[in-house]
Amino acid sequence: MSGIEKYQTMIMVKNLDYRYPNGTVALKGISLKINKGELVGIMGKNGAGKTTLIRTLNGLIKPTRGEIFINNENTNLKSIAQLSRNIGLIFQNPSHQLFANSVEDEIKFSLKNLDMSKEELQNKVNKVLKEFDLEKYRERSPLNLSGGESKKLAIASIVCRDVGILVFDEPTLGQDAREIESFINLINEERKKNKTIIIITHNIEFTYDYIPRTILMSDGQIIADGPTHHILSNDLLVNKSSLVLPQAQQISLALQDSGFKNTEKITTKNELISYITQILTNNPISEED
Amino acid sequence: MSLDFLNAFKFTKKKSFLHQLDPRAKLVLALIYTIIALLFNQIIPLFIIFLSLIPLIIIGKLLKQWLKSIRAMSFLILFILILNTLFISFSFAVAMIFRIYIMVSAFSLFFLTVDPNDLALSLITMKFPYEFAFSFSLAFRFVPTIAIEAQNIIDAQQSRGYEMQEKGLINQIKNLFPLLIPLIICSIRRAFNVAEALESRAFGSKKERTYYYTIKYTAKDWIFTIYLLLVLTFFIILKVQFAYMPEFFLWSLPV
Repeated sequence: MSGIEKYQTMIMVKNLDYRYPNGTVALKGISLKINKGELVGIMGKNGAGKTTLIRTLNGLIKPTRGEIFINNENTNLKSIAQLSRNIGLIFQNPSHQLFANSVEDEIKFSLKNLDMSKEELQNKVNKVLKEFDLEKYRERSPLNLSGGESKKLAIASIVCRDVGILVFDEPTLGQDAREIESFINLINEERKKNKTIIIITHNIEFTYDYIPRTILMSDGQIIADGPTHHILSNDLLVNKSSLVLPQAQQISLALQDSGFKNTEKITTKNELISYITQILTNNPISEED
Repeated sequence: MSLDFLNAFKFTKKKSFLHQLDPRAKLVLALIYTIIALLFNQIIPLFIIFLSLIPLIIIGKLLKQWLKSIRAMSFLILFILILNTLFISFSFAVAMIFRIYIMVSAFSLFFLTVDPNDLALSLITMKFPYEFAFSFSLAFRFVPTIAIEAQNIIDAQQSRGYEMQEKGLINQIKNLFPLLIPLIICSIRRAFNVAEALESRAFGSKKERTYYYTIKYTAKDWIFTIYLLLVLTFFIILKVQFAYMPEFFLWSLPV
């Protein structure tokens, strides 16, 4: 990958406003730039405008004012079907999109409009089923899958379209630890393909550990945009977004309050573990204690 | 594709004469207007009936929402216009459009001004079993929720390249499956969840129920009902004596 390609602007939003037909202002003066291959998290309290923002990206709702450029093309001039070739939006609830007779047909439906030959289509379906470990459910009705499997299928049915931008709305909601781990593996795989990924989430630990850039929203505006570790360590910003600091940060503050020194350097779980190990090595706890 | 128009049938609390009326009086309004709309198939009498609804819409402060519901029907209106013009006459098509407008407006007045809770209470006072009244008001309350869900389903399918506009009737019907199946499944799942939530709160454990709020048919409701009965009587007489009515009542368009 050349340097130029790496920093190519994939999404450019300029002075975006959106007002719902009932008069509610959902987005106010949003401007942002996301480069190709970036992994970005969008956080904020409920009603902050996160979902509205991502719906404007693939044309599901048209901005009241402002412009969005995807790969240098103005979205106002494109239909949702055209935009869906570039952006895949994965919704919170998988049952909103699963309808086919079998898991295989569900994937086929997503590929239907991509001008593929029958053979290409079947090969692609086989590849996707294998990649997502859904081969064993090939003939099963999507309606009989478990929650985690349906979510996996919903993601597979978007990812299979090889879109350049993947947008996930609350992907970790209701997922167990193993499912979250498998989602992280998927994200890593897609990043290797230089996909641009946007994730809306309330899961601060997940964001802190895996997402390098975070956009914080409040009342339809972006209140912070930058490296995740800087933004999510800011008590004020975190409180304003109805979030709580990551556990490592909370423990570091508690240690500081109890008189321990140099705790401000602790930002991650590993740093916290090594700090505590150091304290315990210097002041071993005797069995009598 | 947006389902915003369904908001045009959603109840919103307002202070107006129509909102303060008993739900049963408003049900009588919807039924009487439906009956008188079915009595005629000439443009002039249907137009007069249609005009007589407009003051009620203004009194109820519902002009904006009513206009939305009328606009939402444009596809159906076009359908009625084409079919009736092709098989009967343009004049008859216009009359049928007025008939549909009267019926939809009358029921839209009912849905826009009746609180779902009051609807259940009014059904109970009409001696309907509580379970039936409750299910009816619950179904009524879930219409906007299902509309939101339907919009989410459309958005989710469009995000993976689904296109509504396909050529040919069969293709268009086939094209509805990706929307209808998830909507039906989600609605059935919701129905089970609601049933379980109700049972976990001891729904139906006591046969005899008392109510915190009660509704009464007041003098205002009786006056309104009498007015409606007079309107019904007037139009029935008009129908029976139609041959003796002025000639302009029979006017129709030249096509």
